[in-house]
Amino acid sequence: MMASLLTFAQETPVPLTSTEQWVINTFFYVIALVTVVAALKMVTTNNVVHAALYLLIVLAAVAAVYIILGAEFAAATQVLVYIGAIMVLLLFGVMLTRAKIGSEDDLNYDQRWLGGLVSVVLFAVMGYSLWEGFGETKLDPTFQPQRTGEVAESIFTQYIVPFEAVSVLLLAALIGAVVVARRD
Amino acid sequence: MSGTFVTLVAAEIERPSIDWHAIAPELILLGGGALVTVIDLIWLERVRKLIPTLTSLVFLVALIPVITLWADGSGLPRGLWIIDENVPATGVWEGAFVVDNYSLVLKGLFLLSAYVIVLLSTNYMSEGDYYDSEYYQLIAASVLGMLVMSSSRDLISIFVALELVSIPAYLMAAWRKRDLKSNEAGLKYMLMGVFASAILLYGMSLLYGIAGSTLLSDIAAAIDIGESRPVITLGIVFTIIGFGFKVSAVPFHTWAPDTYEGAPTPLTAFLAVASKAAGFVALINVVIVALPTQANVVEPFIWVLAAITMTVGNLIALRQTNLVRMLAYSGVAQAGYMLAPLAVYDGISDRATSAVVTYLVIYAAMNLGAFAVVIIAARKTRSAELSSYGGMFNYAPGLTLAMTIFLFSLAGIPPVGGWWAKFEVFRVLTEGNRTSGIALAVIAAVNSVIAAFYYLNIAKQMWFLPSPDGDNSRIAIPPALLAAVGLTVAATIVSGVLPGVVSDMTDFVNVAAGQ
Repeated sequence: MMASLLTFAQETPVPLTSTEQWVINTFFYVIALVTVVAALKMVTTNNVVHAALYLLIVLAAVAAVYIILGAEFAAATQVLVYIGAIMVLLLFGVMLTRAKIGSEDDLNYDQRWLGGLVSVVLFAVMGYSLWEGFGETKLDPTFQPQRTGEVAESIFTQYIVPFEAVSVLLLAALIGAVVVARRD
Repeated sequence: MSGTFVTLVAAEIERPSIDWHAIAPELILLGGGALVTVIDLIWLERVRKLIPTLTSLVFLVALIPVITLWADGSGLPRGLWIIDENVPATGVWEGAFVVDNYSLVLKGLFLLSAYVIVLLSTNYMSEGDYYDSEYYQLIAASVLGMLVMSSSRDLISIFVALELVSIPAYLMAAWRKRDLKSNEAGLKYMLMGVFASAILLYGMSLLYGIAGSTLLSDIAAAIDIGESRPVITLGIVFTIIGFGFKVSAVPFHTWAPDTYEGAPTPLTAFLAVASKAAGFVALINVVIVALPTQANVVEPFIWVLAAITMTVGNLIALRQTNLVRMLAYSGVAQAGYMLAPLAVYDGISDRATSAVVTYLVIYAAMNLGAFAVVIIAARKTRSAELSSYGGMFNYAPGLTLAMTIFLFSLAGIPPVGGWWAKFEVFRVLTEGNRTSGIALAVIAAVNSVIAAFYYLNIAKQMWFLPSPDGDNSRIAIPPALLAAVGLTVAATIVSGVLPGVVSDMTDFVNVAAGQ
């Protein structure tokens, strides 16, 4: 981790040593395990607030994966938007509506076994194709973390039209949400 | 860390100049929409009556650069940037935004449809107790998304444009706030739409993972001919499923009837015509530009989608007693016909694109017209039930005639527009004598007969049956709605009698090449 952060500051890329690669790989597997366990707990828990907090762990773990991949901007966005904004929104939603805070027995959905079956099939299909498609692909050991400056550059060159479109989208969503949510 | 700062300062962008003419339609709509919003904010109630007129003017003004770009066809296709020798060609400046004849026809279609939608909405919105100025602002935002969509040749632009089309539409579907049906419409549409977006994004991320670029042309170059790997197939299937929701293809159509019935009727027309067309444009862009080498995956998938979409749509439409729901299911079925050319696009992608766009143009005219009549009739009968259309010939002969023209057109009976749209589809399907194409043509032909039955049943109600409550007082048609019916009748008749007018515009060359 430290090594990859340090290479960021250097002009010429320095290949990672095998020890560094081993550390990064181990780190990834730990995060992956945490993500999977938290995701499973999130859908099985009977408590809405606990589910939200497990989701928080999942989202934070994904942010950590972004850091390992050198996508620092994506990681920062993940933390700001998902953990910062969406989680708070979710908890507010639980708090302001009449949802019961605490454990509920009838929270389980009747057709959860069917849902489980669908997700197992989906997992098998997607897992197989991802493994088949990218299983042999290795990260370039000389890879450089993506500088936030590069992201900014691409936003204002290649993606300038969608960037402007997003600003209109946010304004429209704001206006519409006020109209729909307003009590009158 | 000092090295970082040095590179940041040194990284100054050398930027080619922007082709303002190419992006003028979007900019005018952006500025116009902002103007409408600001005027509404400043003068509030005093300008409330002017907002629809102003919005429709914005659409018409935005049409001017579309026409001048078309007339000035010498330099087409053109991009967002004017590339010259002084700027190093890094590829960053090319290909994401393309203005060619194909995108110009679609922009014209979207702006004119939006104009008619505003005409349809004017009385509906001002007479009900709705927030009407905000409604027009959202329509403008949604149409901006459609214009961007027409020119998008890159995954991120397509996704953002699709969301810009959809998110205002989710909100507008729930615009009749005091009606539970409208709340249901908005909620269902949003949930299904968000679900579709998630699937779409996953598919797109797989395509990006293979190509390492979001540009459609780069994706086409990265996938070799005939190469078939599970991950590519999964990416394609997920992407097409995502678009399938947006164009309400079976089995992803479940939101359409409830949303169409619950939403304000002018918005239903907007969803059925403009929003659906935007989904098709996205589908065409991805299939034709990014996946020309993947016909072995795309064609069978779209073939099945097209076949079940037209069949299921028609069979359910047969049983509807509510005209708006019937039009919703007929729209599902029509989406099946529009998908059909994409099931045989291999080698004839330009002809397939032309057929789909021709269908979109004619469908827009006839379907907007049908919705205009529904809106006018509902002003008197307060209902969209089929039985309430009885005896309309007695008290509104002109309207009955107009509706009959739209219904004949939807059923594909010459000489009004619809037959030409269907003819183009059949011509593409039978071109090349492929078994799959001819089989789909047969299915489409059988479906056209089924569809004719319920379309003509509406006409029968209007011409021959007595009105249910014996009330034969005339309908007062406000000028805006009259103009909408007039425009759509004219477009439907002209496109059928003189199909050359449409086919000259939609005769595309090399859509896939872009820039």
